Amino acid sequence: MQLDRIPFVLLFVVLGVVGCEPPPMTENGVVGVFGGTGLGEGEFSYPRAITAAADGSVYVVDKSARIQRFGVDGVFESGWQMPKKTAGKPIGLTVHKDGRIFVADTHYHRVLVYDATGQELARFGEEGMGDGQFQLPTDVAIDDDGFIYVGEYNGNDRITKWSADLTFVKQISPPEIAGLSMVRPAAMDFDNEQTLWVADACNHRIIRLSRKGEVMSVFGERGTEPGQLRYPYDITVTPEQTLLVCEYGNSRLQWFDKEGKSLGTWGGPGRDLGQLWSPWGATVGANGDVYVVDSLNSRVQIVRR
Amino acid sequence: MNLLGLLSIIGFEKPQWLWLSLLVPVLVAVSIRSLAGLDPTRRVLSLVLRSAVIIVLAACLAEVVRVRQNDDLTVLFLMDRSESVKGRTETQEEYIRAVCEDIPPNDRVGVIDFARGAYLEQLPMKGGYHLDPGRLPEMPNKDRTDIAAAVRLAMAMFPHDTGKRIVILSDGNDNMGDLITEARRAKADNVVVDVVPLMYQHLNEVYFDRMVAPTNAEDGEQVPIRMMLHSLRRTTGTLELYHNDAPVPLPPESSRVELAPGNNSFVFKLPVKGSGQHRFSAVFRPDDPSADTIIDNNRAETFSVISGKGRALLLSSDLAMDNALIEALREEKIDIDVMSAEGADLTLGLLMGYGCVILANVPANYYDDVQHANLVNYVRNLGGGLIMTGGNEGFGAGGWIGSPVEGIMPVDFEIKHKRILPRGALALIMHSCEIPRGNYWGKQVAKKSVDTISSRDFIGVLAWNWSPGGETWEVPLQLATNKTAIKARIDQMGIGDMPDFDPTMELALKGLRATDAAQKHVIMISDGDPSPPRRSVIQGFKDAKITVSTIGIGYGSHVMDQSLRDIAKATGGRFYACRNPRMLPKIFVKESKVVRRPLIIDEAFQPQLVFADSDLMPGMFQTGDIPPLGGLVLTSPKSDSRVQMPLVRSTKDGLDPVLAHWQEGLGKSVAFTSGYWTRWGQQWTRWPAFSKLWAQMVRWAMRQDPASDFDTYTKIEGDRGRIIVEALDKDASFLNGLVLQAHVVAPDGSAMPVQFMQTAPGEYEAEFPVDQTGQYIASVDVQQWSQDKGRHERLGFIDTGVSIPFSPEFRELTTNEALLRRVANITDGEVLAMDPQLDDVFSHDLPPTTARRQAWDWTVAWLLLPLFLLDVAARRLASWLAFSVFVEAVLIVFMLWGLDLIHSSLMGVIGVLVLAEIVGWSIRWRSLGPAVDALTHTVTALGHAGDRSSASLQHLKGTRARTQEEKTTPSARTSGGSQPEAPAPDTKARFDMSDQQANLPAGDLQENLGGAKTTPDTVDKRRKPASAKSDEKEDQDVTSRLLKAKRRARKDFDQDDE
Repeated sequence: MQLDRIPFVLLFVVLGVVGCEPPPMTENGVVGVFGGTGLGEGEFSYPRAITAAADGSVYVVDKSARIQRFGVDGVFESGWQMPKKTAGKPIGLTVHKDGRIFVADTHYHRVLVYDATGQELARFGEEGMGDGQFQLPTDVAIDDDGFIYVGEYNGNDRITKWSADLTFVKQISPPEIAGLSMVRPAAMDFDNEQTLWVADACNHRIIRLSRKGEVMSVFGERGTEPGQLRYPYDITVTPEQTLLVCEYGNSRLQWFDKEGKSLGTWGGPGRDLGQLWSPWGATVGANGDVYVVDSLNSRVQIVRR
Repeated sequence: MNLLGLLSIIGFEKPQWLWLSLLVPVLVAVSIRSLAGLDPTRRVLSLVLRSAVIIVLAACLAEVVRVRQNDDLTVLFLMDRSESVKGRTETQEEYIRAVCEDIPPNDRVGVIDFARGAYLEQLPMKGGYHLDPGRLPEMPNKDRTDIAAAVRLAMAMFPHDTGKRIVILSDGNDNMGDLITEARRAKADNVVVDVVPLMYQHLNEVYFDRMVAPTNAEDGEQVPIRMMLHSLRRTTGTLELYHNDAPVPLPPESSRVELAPGNNSFVFKLPVKGSGQHRFSAVFRPDDPSADTIIDNNRAETFSVISGKGRALLLSSDLAMDNALIEALREEKIDIDVMSAEGADLTLGLLMGYGCVILANVPANYYDDVQHANLVNYVRNLGGGLIMTGGNEGFGAGGWIGSPVEGIMPVDFEIKHKRILPRGALALIMHSCEIPRGNYWGKQVAKKSVDTISSRDFIGVLAWNWSPGGETWEVPLQLATNKTAIKARIDQMGIGDMPDFDPTMELALKGLRATDAAQKHVIMISDGDPSPPRRSVIQGFKDAKITVSTIGIGYGSHVMDQSLRDIAKATGGRFYACRNPRMLPKIFVKESKVVRRPLIIDEAFQPQLVFADSDLMPGMFQTGDIPPLGGLVLTSPKSDSRVQMPLVRSTKDGLDPVLAHWQEGLGKSVAFTSGYWTRWGQQWTRWPAFSKLWAQMVRWAMRQDPASDFDTYTKIEGDRGRIIVEALDKDASFLNGLVLQAHVVAPDGSAMPVQFMQTAPGEYEAEFPVDQTGQYIASVDVQQWSQDKGRHERLGFIDTGVSIPFSPEFRELTTNEALLRRVANITDGEVLAMDPQLDDVFSHDLPPTTARRQAWDWTVAWLLLPLFLLDVAARRLASWLAFSVFVEAVLIVFMLWGLDLIHSSLMGVIGVLVLAEIVGWSIRWRSLGPAVDALTHTVTALGHAGDRSSASLQHLKGTRARTQEEKTTPSARTSGGSQPEAPAPDTKARFDMSDQQANLPAGDLQENLGGAKTTPDTVDKRRKPASAKSDEKEDQDVTSRLLKAKRRARKDFDQDDE
């Protein structure tokens, strides 16, 4: 072959490739999407919470009160139905490091514990505002010592601490933080320093608490600019120890460092890939990809950054 | 895939563009000459590729589509929930759930239920039946069955790209639509309809076939009540008779009855006293309950209208307030009944018992839309009289603005003339998305509020907007002057899931504060799920004196009532725990009228008599006779010459109606905007003329006595009602040429005009559809042409009507299996056994459906462009080796990405690579022979490599020296020497060398690489002698010279080959 003709051959090949449509799954870092509106396996009816297990699987709960388990690539694996759903559907999911799944069964004022197959293992909490009671539980976080922390809202906006054997310990959240009571602590997560990060959704801010409930820092204000928040409905500490915040009001994800500096945003309102419509939750999978619950689009987008 | 297979998966939207393919022969003809320089193989290849490009281009312009065959199935289950299959809903649900147990993964299931109407309960979706057992919404209007409507809805819900099957679960007793026509339409659309007959056969049944009473009767007359009971078997029982819901004592021999199989007739005569409508009903109770299966058809009813002295009905909100008026009327011998306004069921039957109805300071929200319509029909179409009095709950202040009742009153409840009035301001906060059809209800009640308030009030609607997400004024706070535009905007609202109340409440507070309204109010509807507002926000409302009424709506325990209750309590509003959305309109009317308080003038004034000769008080008083009143509700007189307004309140802004009246349709109405007697009218109630004036008002408004010279009969024939009027004059002569007009008022409050035709001497008939259960009532206006007056003159009214005591559903004694079988036959469906083990509704035995998806973009990217590149390559890549590599690359790219085999298995990818190699090698086989020769040549030449290299080096040096010499003496080129000039080296190194050149031994790198010759002797060898003239021309055109040289070289090579 004559060497001086190689560039031309390559040029033709490049032209051929460039003339094609780009691969569909690379829009703004989206490497996968799954779900779709429906009640069949792998479909969603307004999904509202997501959590990732260490084995790579992710769990999603939607407004049909179904919890579905998916593989790392979004392939449906199994699912189960919550025992009751008439009064309302769960809005919080958390996987314990031992594989148990904690479900904030919001409108039944309790937390249900399942194994990975959907077998109910335990439940705790009852309606009320006292010790051991919940108004509307939102989310569960578990520290390295196995203590369980539950957030709740609707007139009783607080975080309570429970022992590993599911008995009430105490309320840890202070009545006021930076002059404001918490309003809808929608999500929580622990970092590697064992401090609790709380999404104080209706105050549009993020709160850092010690396990005793001491306020370590607060950041965020209502707004649409980077660094500002509107209804942060979920917060997850990434493996790099940054904070991944899912904003229901701004239909976007936003990353922060622990000092509250915005590291970037992703998404924005819309229906295309790479856009979100009133997302309720996001999590980081075992492979480092971000799984975001695109609620009104009834899908989960997998984002690689 | 063979060619036929390929053709079956593509199609064209605009096939006329395929005619462009006829350009191919033209292109071939032209190209044969232009491609003459190529060797025959390449020429043919290039022509084929160019032709393919043209054909593909034509296909793109013809909008090529991919036709996808799909054997997935969508099954829509239609569930009969009418009365005739009462109690079998759960059985149907269980069947659907069971039959969907093994649904194939890609098949979809949808569910529609039907009775009079059809409703979608589950969209077609994968995974089977998803509805919760027993949670289907209450089915409205179960008194009829319209299977055709359900089939129509199903046809609209099918996805276009799957097989379509409808499964009808029904008893087949369709009594409304045209199912057979709908089945034929389904067949035309390739929809298969399977049927599951819900089997029953009632062998023990007794039902009323009919019950008839004379439509008109005289006061004190014995009215014959005829009834016919149909029994399937001999049975005994008790017959009970009711007159105006009161039991009629019957002697035992009359009440104890023995029914023979077939029809059994009974006649009772009952004395009737008092004018108005008299309702009669009968109930049969079998001795043995098992002798009768359906009890709903054991009751029948009918009615007679008794002419005579009129009675009045006073609906009171506060008896103590209205006591003086009631006593005054009774003093004047007015026969008056008093009823609590709240909870009164304003049926037409009730209203028709009275000649006049008085709404004494009654708010609009006590009654629903049908009752409002009944009031309107009572006046406009049935000739009744209506008097509305004021007070804090009358007219506009009582929420009557926008009600149809406003249309029959002589005053408008809006203030039309220009005057400075305190305004009201109403903000609605809508969070109704958590209830079924939440957006629908949210919009309905918001529009109700718009209707209720005055056009001088402010209104705005707040909600959480889904897109882009946030609290917003869906309808900006504005004056309600253009209610149509505001309601249109409400229709466009998207009510989203609000996280917290604070932002919307803050917006409402800010907006309302900015208005100059005297009365500011907020209505908030929610399930209480959003986070409650802060204390500071609540305090803001309290400080601004803005009340917030809250409505908790949703399923039972889902509703967080407490936070809503707290908001209402803290701001001075009201809280409503509402679990039935149908109650919402009344609540919204009630709450919206809060801002109408400015319409109430709570100050004393002297009524002015401005029209003493009105029909209502002809010459009764002088202004000086009339005592002052303590207040009134502001209204505006209608701009209509029929309106008479004898009493007014005179101000600098104009005249406010105090007493106004007119005739509307067949009836009359009176507006007395004051009232509220213990507060505003104490001097009036002590006024001696008070009772006389009010008696005159009632008598004037009282409906006319029906004409008694006509005999009227009514009949029900199937789904038609018939009114027959026999008209005789006093001499018993037939009255011909009369004009009879009427509006029949249906049980739902709708009025339909009916046309009477004269069918015999003195006999007139009219027909109307009856498809509802209840009373159909009409007042027939009888008019006769008067020669003397030159116009039609009213002879009187005839009250008439028919009663449909129970739904025809309760007459169905057996399943109409024949109809269902016929539907299945028409559509090639099956009659299923209702056995989930046997019924296979998901069998994929339907012809596969096709879906057409546009493919021109794919065709351009993956066919047109590669073919074009291949065409270029075939002509320009001189080396078969290079061409084969290019073809390989294009094939690999096309198959891996164009056909998306990159995502197939590893074997698939390897298969693509192997295939590409086979194609590549099959192209470059031509190069193999010369290549082997070249290899041999190379080996042989290795021994002379040193010499050749030296010679080559010398040759290159010589060339370089000549070139430098030429550069230094440019004139040598331009002046034209005697030596023929060699062609300039082609630095662009075109790909037009032959295979022989390409495979020359490596000894002469310059020749092989460049393809053009640089030594004069080589050039000479290849060129033929040329004339001096042509040389001069070539000097002027180097390019054409080169081309000619190239062609000659090709020719030589071709000759060598031969």
